[in-house]
Amino acid sequence: MKISEIGIGRLLRVSSFLVIVGLVLEIVSLLWFHPLSFVLFAFLAASLIGLGILVYLVSLVFVAPPPAEDTPYRQP
Amino acid sequence: MIGVLICQIVLSIVLASVFLIRPSLTRAASWKILAFIGLCVLPALCIVGGMNTHVQRSEQTQFCISCHVMIPYGKSLYVDDPSHIPAQHFQNHRVPADMACYSCHADYTIYGPLKDKLQGLKRIYMQYVSTPPDPAAIRISGGFRNAQCLHCHQGARSFEENPVHAALMDSLKSEQTSCLTSGCHDTAHDVENLSHLKMWRPAQ
Repeated sequence: MKISEIGIGRLLRVSSFLVIVGLVLEIVSLLWFHPLSFVLFAFLAASLIGLGILVYLVSLVFVAPPPAEDTPYRQP
Repeated sequence: MIGVLICQIVLSIVLASVFLIRPSLTRAASWKILAFIGLCVLPALCIVGGMNTHVQRSEQTQFCISCHVMIPYGKSLYVDDPSHIPAQHFQNHRVPADMACYSCHADYTIYGPLKDKLQGLKRIYMQYVSTPPDPAAIRISGGFRNAQCLHCHQGARSFEENPVHAALMDSLKSEQTSCLTSGCHDTAHDVENLSHLKMWRPAQ
C-alpha cells in the first residue's frame, strides 16, 4: 500500500495520537524527580513526539487532500 | 519555568486532540495553519523545553544523590572536617550548594556536558540493568583532573599567591602533578569511614 492511498485523515489521527501520548509522557517525566525520568523523556516521550511530527510532515508531502465537500464539481 | 512548559504541553495536547477527533477540519486554510502549529511547531518546542529542563535538573545535587549508590557521597558533603575537600567546598558555599556535584565533576570542555550525560546514562544502565557497583569502589574514569579545580581556582588571588601552588603551577596545569593524589589535598569522599566521622548539622 502506498502512503498516498492511506488518506490524510488517518495519518493526521496517527500523528495526533503519537504526539498526545508523547506529550503526556513528557508531563509525567517532568513531574517525576528521578534519574529514570530522563530516560523516559529522551527515549520514549521525545521519540513518540518526533515520530508524530514526522507522520504529520509525511501527510503534508505525500498525501493530496481530498476535495472539499462543498466544492462544485467542474467539467474538464 | 516548569509551569510555563507544562502549560505549553497542555495547549499542544488540546490542539492535537482536536485533530485526533476531527481531522477533516484541516480542509480549511486557517485550520491547516493551526494543525501545523499544533502537530509540528508546539510539539517540537516541547521537546526542546523538556530537554532543557531535564539537562538543568540533572545538574542538581538532589538529582545526583537520588541514585542509591550515591547516597554515601551526598552524606560525605556533611563531614565536619575542613581537610575533606568536597565537604569544605559544600559547607562554605565555595560551590553552589544545589549544584555541588556538578560544579566539581562536570567536564568543562566543548562537548563536556554531552560526555557527562552519556556517562550518566551508563550509570543508569549499571544501576537498573547491570550490577550496581559498591559505593566505595566507584572511581572516576581517567581519574579526577586538575582542570576541574583550576576552572575556579586559577586566577584566584589566594590560590596564585600560595608559594606551593606558584612553584607547581606549570605542573598543575599540565596535569603532571595531581591536586588530589599527589598528597596535598588527598581526602575527598571518604565513604568507607563515613560512619566513624563527625557530621555537621546545618542550622535550620
